[in-house]
Amino acid sequence: MDTSNLSRRRFLELVGAAGGSTAIYQTSRAMGLLQDTGPVAKLDLQGVGAAGKKIAVLGAGIAGLTVAYELERAGYEVTVLEASHRIGGRNMTLRHGDLIDEMGHNRVCNFDDDPDLYFNPGPARIPGHHKRILHYCKKLGIELQVKANFARHAYTHESGHFGGNPVRKSEYFADAQGFMSELLYKAVDKNRFDEPLSVEDRERMLLFAKRIGDLQPDGTYHGTARAGYESGGFIKPGTHKKTMDFSALLQSRHWESAFDNIHNPEWAEPLMEAVGGMDNISRGLARNVKSPILTNAQVQSIQNTETGVDVVYNHNGERKKLSADWCFNSIPTQFMVGIPNNFPKDYNEGFARVRPDNFFKIGLQMKERFWEREGIYGGITHTDQKINQIWYPSHGIHKQKGVVLSAYTFGAEQSAFFERMSPEDRIRYAGACGDKIHAGYSSYIEAGVSVPWGRMNHMMGCGVIWTPEAIEKYYKRMRAPEGRHYMIGDQISYHPTWQEGAFASAEYALLDFDKHVRAETAVSRKG
Amino acid sequence: MRVIHGTTIIAAAMLLFASSALLADDELPIPADAYVYCTVCHGVQLMGNSVIRAPRLSEMEDWYVERQLQAFKKGWRGTHDADLAGIEMQPMAAALSNEQIAEATAFVVKTRSDLPMDTVRGGISRGRHHYTTCAACHGDDGQGNETLGSPALTNVNDWYLITQLRNFKNGSRGAHPDDAYGNQMRAAAQILADDEAISDVVSYIATFKNN
Repeated sequence: MDTSNLSRRRFLELVGAAGGSTAIYQTSRAMGLLQDTGPVAKLDLQGVGAAGKKIAVLGAGIAGLTVAYELERAGYEVTVLEASHRIGGRNMTLRHGDLIDEMGHNRVCNFDDDPDLYFNPGPARIPGHHKRILHYCKKLGIELQVKANFARHAYTHESGHFGGNPVRKSEYFADAQGFMSELLYKAVDKNRFDEPLSVEDRERMLLFAKRIGDLQPDGTYHGTARAGYESGGFIKPGTHKKTMDFSALLQSRHWESAFDNIHNPEWAEPLMEAVGGMDNISRGLARNVKSPILTNAQVQSIQNTETGVDVVYNHNGERKKLSADWCFNSIPTQFMVGIPNNFPKDYNEGFARVRPDNFFKIGLQMKERFWEREGIYGGITHTDQKINQIWYPSHGIHKQKGVVLSAYTFGAEQSAFFERMSPEDRIRYAGACGDKIHAGYSSYIEAGVSVPWGRMNHMMGCGVIWTPEAIEKYYKRMRAPEGRHYMIGDQISYHPTWQEGAFASAEYALLDFDKHVRAETAVSRKG
Repeated sequence: MRVIHGTTIIAAAMLLFASSALLADDELPIPADAYVYCTVCHGVQLMGNSVIRAPRLSEMEDWYVERQLQAFKKGWRGTHDADLAGIEMQPMAAALSNEQIAEATAFVVKTRSDLPMDTVRGGISRGRHHYTTCAACHGDDGQGNETLGSPALTNVNDWYLITQLRNFKNGSRGAHPDDAYGNQMRAAAQILADDEAISDVVSYIATFKNN
């Protein structure tokens, strides 16, 4: 790189590209993505007042269960209606014998009956700044463990780069940082800036550059132990790996996401997961809810009345009515388009304008933990094949078997590719992709599950897509109550698909509800 | 063909809006577990869902519902890459046995919901002109003709008619050699020169339900 015309601004950009985190963090803050930090709102809900005590909660996912849990404690009479056969929504863990209720392909999870062999097809990671979910886990005694999201021994794999061979992340990052810091060192050393650095800053920058890339005393990069030794290092002297070709590294595309994957706070180490399966969070909530939670209870009609909300639903072959004073509704917005209601036109328009997002995952039970023989314990391999990622389990280390996430797609287009295959073909496809990364990968597959959220019964999607126009026109409308009816769920948040979005939406609705209750009670006392 | 008197349809549609009436109306079917799937996409009482692109099925003719379920099951429908909504429907029908198709059909024809809202704004008078060809099989008022195997057009969503006319025209529906009725309709759809002609004729068809 020619560094003769490097401006200070360009220099800072380069630092940003190499360091990544600070720049990304500042940008995220400016964009409001890290909003809602600070302590969890205190839910000091007033007990039942003049505004009535019967509550209908539609949907037994994270948001619905949270509302049920809190309102029950404040003395309300709650009924939860859940359309599907199970509690938890997308907070799901698949274990031996569980039904996978995919439209047109329902089947049973064929993993061994073993507490360590499970798969989280929905949310699978909890970052440390998702304060609400952590608050509830702590309060309800739901045990968490660290989930490694990054393993230096895992791979990056690109079919058209590095000879199509998997490259250890350790090697990739050591060389990427090494080459970048060498450039930085040269630029600083030759004082190639519009506005020269002070002598002291220059000395510090040179040391800084050396530390970033583990450079030689003369500021050149010739490999580092950070990339892992070629040989030796314990009894015999260690030999550094030969560095990769800088040009090849730049031509590969892994860096487009690699730094964000490490530094974005949603994925930054250490992440957490619920011990024994993520559904222990919804189970923990449900265990603490005494109110009835009816499964297979599909809503047929929602009608706002003068004093509350009437909900008609089918249950056990009968049509029933629940007349509630308030309703908290987490039914996916796209289904609301197919449920008769008497809401005003603009509210109904909002349901149609929020479009479902879609994700897809495959989990494979491997008869041996072959990745551990390759030095991989937890973390993720990234590939440019359609499976995108392979996740290695952080739990059950050194046991005989393990469940590996073997495909994870983002958005409708990527997911449709797998949705259209039979469940058996999806597993075969994922196996063939895995073979390009781990020798014999597909020969270890014993059992497998695939979960296309866009095809799951009573889901038909995963999270929502709020276009900037829809956010502007409908978000506040959908978040506010219509009469005594609140829409809730991760869909009514800036964090769709994250459990924290569901908790945040429940919290928002409860705080808003409490204001109404207090106001109505005050008026009735005066009256 | 199951004949449903217009007054019954209107009464049922009006009742649906009042939940207490919905509760009391024993005429409205409650799907068995195996057919709840239909309502997940097609909506309560199969009223249709534009976001999921699942059309209103309430009051469809039993012979037509059964024929289409078989067409999906056999892969005549819902296997073409351009038929995105059909691809979503196809595995649902493929998973049904012939007996289940008969049961699903029995459920579908009993459902009642409000007639769909108009969403397409085309030229009605131009549409009337195009429709003269359609009328030969589907009837002057879109009432359908069982003898000719032509379904009624008055009770489905206008956006769905648009999609299907496009599908017939571009061969993503009605192109399978064994799908005789589909082949016929595919040929007929060629009289509509472009998207404008399609929305014109659909806008004209939408006027029938107000008669």
